[in-house]
Amino acid sequence: METEHGITEGRAILKRGKLIKVWARFKGEKILDIRITGDFFIYPEDTIERIEEGLKNRKISEVMGIVEEIMKGCEYIGIEPKDIEEAVNLAWKKN
Amino acid sequence: MDLRLIFDGKNRAHWNMALDESLLIHLRDYGPTLRFYGWSPAAISIGYFQSLEENVNIERAREMGVDVVRRITGGGAVYHKWEVTYSIVLYPPPGKILDSYRMIERGIIEGLKELGIEAQYSGINDIVVNGRKISGNAQTRKYGGLLQHGTILMDVDVDEMFTLLKVPQEKMRDKIIKSVKERVISLRHLNLDVEFEELQKILARGFERALGMKLYEEKIDEEILNLAKELGVKKYGNRAWNYRR
Repeated sequence: METEHGITEGRAILKRGKLIKVWARFKGEKILDIRITGDFFIYPEDTIERIEEGLKNRKISEVMGIVEEIMKGCEYIGIEPKDIEEAVNLAWKKN
Repeated sequence: MDLRLIFDGKNRAHWNMALDESLLIHLRDYGPTLRFYGWSPAAISIGYFQSLEENVNIERAREMGVDVVRRITGGGAVYHKWEVTYSIVLYPPPGKILDSYRMIERGIIEGLKELGIEAQYSGINDIVVNGRKISGNAQTRKYGGLLQHGTILMDVDVDEMFTLLKVPQEKMRDKIIKSVKERVISLRHLNLDVEFEELQKILARGFERALGMKLYEEKIDEEILNLAKELGVKKYGNRAWNYRR
C-alpha cells in the first residue's frame, strides 16, 4: 500500500509454532519503521525492541545479519532469525 | 529450601499482574513464593509481544465488564474465567528456560495426578490430557530471578472466549473456533467437579511433591503489597503499558 513520497506499508503473518506478525513501512528497499508482534517468547524480552530499532533505516538485504547479531546469546521459542527475515520480506512484497 | 505459599483469592487483572511482578522484584530479599489466584471480573491477558488491538475486541470486553491486561511474560492471549492461576518466583533461575518450564509444570502434572488425571507436557509451554490442552504457562526472567505463571482450566466456553478475542484471519473464524474446541479440555469436561479453593490446595501439594520444597503459608509482606499497588496503577492499569504494542 503506497502512502506518500514513495513510502509504502506492508503486513505479514507467519505461523511457525507460534504466530509472528510484522508491520513495516518502507521506502524502496529501506525499512523506515517496523513492529514485530506475536505469541512467541524471546529472552530477554527487550530483544524485540532492539531488533525493531536495529532494523530502522536498514535495507531488506541486511535483515538476517542484523537480527542474527542481536539474537546471539538469546533464548527464543517459536521465533527464529530466519522467520523475521521471511516475514519482513513478505511484508515488503505485499506493500 | 522452603517455599512461601499464598492463596490469594480472585482479584482484578491489573492487581494480579502487579503482585506477580512485585513478588519477582522482591524475590532476592523475601525468597521464593508460590501464589494461587483467580480473576474477578473475568479478564483477558495478552502476551508481552502481542498487540492489544489486534488480539482483543476491546469494545466487547468493555460491554461485558471484562478486564484486559498485558502480561510481563510472552505467549498468547488468555481468557481467564473458570480456572485456577498460579505464579511462582524462584531464585536463582534453575537451568535453561525450557528445562525450568518442565520442572515447574511438573507441579501441575503431580496435582492433576491426585485427581486421577494423567497429564503430559506438550510443545513448549502446555500441559495436555488426552492430547487436549488443560494448562498454558509462561515464564520471564528478570531482576535476577524467574517468574512463571500459568492456568489450569476448570471449565471453558470457547464461543464466549471468541466473542472477546480476535482471530488472525476473520474468514477463518469458524474453523479456528472449531479447532480450539477440539484442542482444549477442562476439569468439567473430565467430569471432575472441584471447587476453586480445593483445586488450589491440590495443586499446592503437587508443587510441593514436584519441587521437593516445603510449603509454608504466610501473609504477603507490606512492602511487596505497596509496590504491587503502585505497579497496579502506574503500569498494569495504565494505557501506556497495555497498548504499548
